[in-house]
Amino acid sequence: MSNAFAALQEMMSCQNREIHTNEKEVTEKEVTLHLLPGEQLLCEASTVLKYVQEDSCQHGVYGRLVCTDFKIAFLGDDESALDNDETQFKNKVIGENDITLHCVDQIYGVFDEKKKTLFGQLKKYPEKLIIHCKDLRVFQFCLRYTKEEEVKRIVSGIIHHTQAPKLLKRLFLFSYATAAQNNTVTDPKNHTVMFDTLKDWCWELERTKGNMKYKAVSVNEGYKVCERLPAYFVVPTPLPEENVQRFQGHGIPIWCWSCHNGSALLKMSALPKEQDDGILQIQKSFLDGIYKTIHRPPYEIVKTEDLSSNFLSLQEIQTAYSKFKQLFLIGFPSPPPYCGSDHTATLLFSPSSAYQLPSDNSTEFWDTDIKWFSLLESSSWLDIIRRCLKKAIEITECMEAQNMNVLLLEENASDLCCLISSLVQLMMDPHCRTRIGFQSLIQKEWVMGGHCFLDRCNHLRQNDKEEVPVFLLFLDCVWQLVHQHPPAFEFTETYLTVLSDSLYIPIFSTFFFNSPHQKDTNMGREGQDTQSKPLNLLTVWDWSVQFEPKAQTLLKNPLYVEKPKLDKGQRKGMRFKHQRQLSLPLTQSKSSPKRGFFREETDHLIKNLLGKRISKLINSSDELQDNFREFYDSWHSKSTDYHGLLLPHIEGPELKVWAQRYLRWIPEAQILGGGQVATLSKLLEMMEEVQSLQEKIDERHHSQQAPQAEAPCLLRNSARLSSLFPFALLQRHSSKPVLPTSGWKALGDEDDLAKREDEFVDLGDV
Amino acid sequence: MWWGGRGQSFNIAPQKEEPEMGSVQENRMPEPRSRQPSSCLASRCLPGEQILAWAPGVRKGLEPELSGTLICTNFRVTFQPCGWQWNQTLVHGYTVLYLLTSVSGLSRVQLLRPGSLHKFIPEEILIHGRDFRLLRVGFEAGGLEPQAFQVTMAIVQARAQSNQAQQYSGITLSKAGQGSGSRKPPIPLMETAEDWETERKKQAARGWRVSTVNERFDVATSLPRYFWVPNRILDSEVRRAFGHFHQGRGPRLSWHHPGGSDLLRCGGFYTASDPNKEDIRAVELLLQAGHSDVVLVDTMDELPSLADVQLAHLRLRALCLPDSSVAEDKWLSALEGTRWLDYVRACLRKASDISVLVTSRVRSVILQERGDRDLNGLLSSLVQLLSAPEARTLFGFQSLVQREWVAAGHPFLTRLGGTGASEEAPVFLLFLDCVWQLLQQFPADFEFSEFFLLALHDSVRVPDTLTFLRNTPWERGKQSGQLNSYTQVYTPGYSQPPAGNSFNLQLSVWDWDLRYSNAQILQFQNPGYDPEHCPDSWLPRPQPSFMVPGPPSSVWLFSRGALTPLNQLCPWRDSPSLLAVSSRWLPRPAISSESLADQEWGLPSHWGACPLPPGLLLPGYLGPQIRLWRRCYLRGRPEVQMGLSAPTISGLQDELSHLQELLRKWTPRISPEDHSKKRDPHTILNPTEIAGILKGRAEGDLG
Repeated sequence: MSNAFAALQEMMSCQNREIHTNEKEVTEKEVTLHLLPGEQLLCEASTVLKYVQEDSCQHGVYGRLVCTDFKIAFLGDDESALDNDETQFKNKVIGENDITLHCVDQIYGVFDEKKKTLFGQLKKYPEKLIIHCKDLRVFQFCLRYTKEEEVKRIVSGIIHHTQAPKLLKRLFLFSYATAAQNNTVTDPKNHTVMFDTLKDWCWELERTKGNMKYKAVSVNEGYKVCERLPAYFVVPTPLPEENVQRFQGHGIPIWCWSCHNGSALLKMSALPKEQDDGILQIQKSFLDGIYKTIHRPPYEIVKTEDLSSNFLSLQEIQTAYSKFKQLFLIGFPSPPPYCGSDHTATLLFSPSSAYQLPSDNSTEFWDTDIKWFSLLESSSWLDIIRRCLKKAIEITECMEAQNMNVLLLEENASDLCCLISSLVQLMMDPHCRTRIGFQSLIQKEWVMGGHCFLDRCNHLRQNDKEEVPVFLLFLDCVWQLVHQHPPAFEFTETYLTVLSDSLYIPIFSTFFFNSPHQKDTNMGREGQDTQSKPLNLLTVWDWSVQFEPKAQTLLKNPLYVEKPKLDKGQRKGMRFKHQRQLSLPLTQSKSSPKRGFFREETDHLIKNLLGKRISKLINSSDELQDNFREFYDSWHSKSTDYHGLLLPHIEGPELKVWAQRYLRWIPEAQILGGGQVATLSKLLEMMEEVQSLQEKIDERHHSQQAPQAEAPCLLRNSARLSSLFPFALLQRHSSKPVLPTSGWKALGDEDDLAKREDEFVDLGDV
Repeated sequence: MWWGGRGQSFNIAPQKEEPEMGSVQENRMPEPRSRQPSSCLASRCLPGEQILAWAPGVRKGLEPELSGTLICTNFRVTFQPCGWQWNQTLVHGYTVLYLLTSVSGLSRVQLLRPGSLHKFIPEEILIHGRDFRLLRVGFEAGGLEPQAFQVTMAIVQARAQSNQAQQYSGITLSKAGQGSGSRKPPIPLMETAEDWETERKKQAARGWRVSTVNERFDVATSLPRYFWVPNRILDSEVRRAFGHFHQGRGPRLSWHHPGGSDLLRCGGFYTASDPNKEDIRAVELLLQAGHSDVVLVDTMDELPSLADVQLAHLRLRALCLPDSSVAEDKWLSALEGTRWLDYVRACLRKASDISVLVTSRVRSVILQERGDRDLNGLLSSLVQLLSAPEARTLFGFQSLVQREWVAAGHPFLTRLGGTGASEEAPVFLLFLDCVWQLLQQFPADFEFSEFFLLALHDSVRVPDTLTFLRNTPWERGKQSGQLNSYTQVYTPGYSQPPAGNSFNLQLSVWDWDLRYSNAQILQFQNPGYDPEHCPDSWLPRPQPSFMVPGPPSSVWLFSRGALTPLNQLCPWRDSPSLLAVSSRWLPRPAISSESLADQEWGLPSHWGACPLPPGLLLPGYLGPQIRLWRRCYLRGRPEVQMGLSAPTISGLQDELSHLQELLRKWTPRISPEDHSKKRDPHTILNPTEIAGILKGRAEGDLG
């Protein structure tokens, strides 16, 4: 405590220096506000105290709180203290104390020791501002020493700019792109396939050997047919192009991916529901025609997976995640005693009544919490992950073992369709486990697949109900795979974490549109702004915008080994029948008899598409369960080929919490000198040694040098990293006295706890 | 490689060993199809062991399937693969009958109970060990041959009988060490004064000496023959003081921190005694051991009781059985319901608190537990693991267990259920789980690996050495014949070991080559161990408490995360015993009036702040940080088993040494013919070798 006090006094003295409101005149000692091109300062307040928790004691940092049209930023004085190697993993766009407006989740104000959500017009202004971020950071700002005028301006400014509904055109994306037009000299290609040209689709068809049975079509060029679909996509070769136009792209099978054995993953958006019998008849005969084309050889038997019924609902995902994230949104303990004579007790509560944090004190929460597992379970987030993975394994089984085509069916084919089809490809196609491949996959299935990022992330704050973290769910599923099979992936969990953070950075176009059509029309390509040249929007795949090359090494898995290429083509998946595939039960015999039931199958499909009643029977058949079990067990009983089929474990003990993403801001969760990083650095050391020896040997033989892997310098030279590395920015390990166990409570603490419980505020009262 | 458990835990492909013995063994090993167990088989038995039944079969569930013989003896059930190497090892991971909890024939899966003597054809038998292992053997000819039925029935009956736990007392030492003469044990057994003296010097405990007062076990049979007491205290005073502690277990040094503080342990004060002034003085001298500030820790406070531990372990075992009916989406709450992880967390937390007191605050801490034989050992070992880098080496850890558990008289036999169920409580297994948590959290700080912990875990019920099969050092010593010269010790109820003199009496569990192959022992090493990782600048600072008297002697009670001042150390002067009136001691005291430098601790201001010493580990014990030891507890689940066998970092290490050797060979000259030896760069880091490097670490965040 005494140290914290000293630190505060020091800061107070800093505060005596004049504070300039205009950032251009700010003295060098002051922390400058870095504005991006096109970014504008909207409002600010000085003498704001930010609570910092450090080594389990808290103190305050004075500084300016600033709100721009891009972010909320706190400019404190102790930035210089961060000059150690931990900060080398620094985001160039978003600083430690920056919150982009889209990253703000909830804003709470503390009035007379009571915490309330803030929204709309305020009559009274809070003495303390608590901001929960979507990346699970929690900021607390004390406004008690700020001028009243400034408090009003900053609080209403922040509330307005983060919570009021916005127009698409007002996204910072556009002002940034306009202003940065001249100086963006980034490599647009970046090797990620963007799937915005016919060529990209043809390339993908060729890569997966799907070009025998499927063709890329440009019927939707200029979005003439449908605004949901991308300009180019792939359909079965015999499908007449006019069919696409018939129901604006509904009801036609669209190709996602082809397996090495020829079976393909298809998706279809359901036909609009009609009551009228005549229209139903028309729909029926239309689907009949479609089915005939894709069922006849050379096409495999089609199995339909209806994702709109009997699987997850978006509502479930939303509820589960909002419960789940509350487990990690932990505030700071009550403010330090020097903050004022009155002892402020902050109260935390969760919007969902299902689970409430019992106290304001994070440490207390963790300590008294012996219910961690049941809380976790009651959120059912992990169970949803399990269901997604299981569904993906089932589909994999159909394609791999039974040689069937799988048709994913969903209302718009843009939510769970994206999720499941990406997971299937990740498991079956080793190319998708490289970084480029993964990025292309997201580009193909999510961005071009028309996932409504804008609505699902609620970027425009127009409809809270539409906000469903489907993409985050996907990343969490991928994390399970990465966690269970690290050597199979070229990217690391850190990559996934920063990717999830990038969802909220509005300078990248990738996650800020509902469809490629929306993007193109708003970029001026569609002739609305014919005189101005099209905006050049950044894609998130250009990681150099966010990270220095040094920091980027942490995104790359050092243990990943590329498959030795036999020929120059990238046809890994098809050339090698790896042992897993060979060992699978032969499937041709299983599937062929079914061809006799042609009529029945057709009926199934049509009933499925129209009525969606029968899918239950199909999905839960015993045979399917048995096949699944056999497939799953036999795969797991063999040793893993990291360049072949990859299945996750989905048993209860095997699904984990993505600790890096969810625990990174919680100082108590830090294990100094421990965690995975400890082994990783040792590993890297050894790998480097192996590599250098290898090179020496190669040199002796006058052969070419082995390609040198970039040395992950961030991990070197640092004596003891914490388990939260590289996100441990909050915690600088100082050599000052540390009370390790925040569980140590002041004497008589129990009474405090009881008191606080009495003061508990319910959301209903606000 | 019996039992499969081993094979999978250690990831050593059994085929590798097969070629090397091949022909030699052929004639000596029982032919799998022979109708009689050969005499050779019998000769592998322990003394007194008899083969009850046997049947040829195939071990299933693990790759590769092994054919061999399932043997049931009066001590154990064992599966002996055909042509298995027998020579250098006594028995490969055998288990005792005692381990069985359920047996089922698979034609229709059924649980076999001793009563169910119906006719059945056992196709396959699944035996679940109490140590979470699973042996799955399919019988030849679909179980139609009579041996299959016989061996199944023998196992079922033997299991029923094993509930009377007389087995252990009958088992004598193995003959394994015969002929090896008097060799030095791999780990000092702390049975001689020299061992204690060496260890004392290692810890640089200058204020302490080795006391020989218990040399004849007449102070306490549960205490070791030697222990450390303060220099200035005479043996007569020690004897006098120890009498006033529960079962004579007075305060002894456990560990000396180079900074000057000490960690002591003792039993509860003996309430019924009526000490005189002299006695009280002796007791106080012993407790205070020259320190001005002393912190008394009630070990039981906030830790589970023995019954809690036992119940949690039983629940955990039920949960981890393959046929446990817990749905996948209810797994986590079921795990929580066992409370096992909660107890692990409580232990870690308390140990972490105490180690900060001892190292950072340089205070002497006395662990007091009524019996001083269970949780005291657990806490003091954990504190040493957290605070002393030496204890984290393989050698250090083994001697730690030997000193704080074996020599200190942890009643292993009783706690592991060897003497009837009443006082069973696997405290030692709880300790191993705590250590495993540390291993997970600090993968670079321990020289031993998870496999070592598994081996230790599996060894606690193996009756080939006395280490874990006796309750007290006295019994252990008696059995091994050390006490021949002390025949005056009264030995009620124990018969002399039959001709025990021919055995190597120094044999202990630490003789790993008894049960494990060299390849397996190599895996005990943690390849990720990085001693430089933590700076070993273990600077012994001046001993402030000896040199600087400080404020007058103060005594503190540490309880529920806070310190409370005590008026006196001993309870007798004006109040009854400490542990008898614990209610007077333990209520949360009101905030004391003095200005507290460390409010959270309730530390007196003059104690000041000290930096954290470099070697100290502070474990995490939040909900998400305490995990389930899957490799141990989930071994019995066939579907989980597979994922657990991961190659290790050692693959990379092998690669490294290979390359270095290659380079060394080539350095003097460059010869063109070496081209043939050149390795393809692509194979150097092939994925299978490094496959599990991270996987081993990837133990995840939740059980």
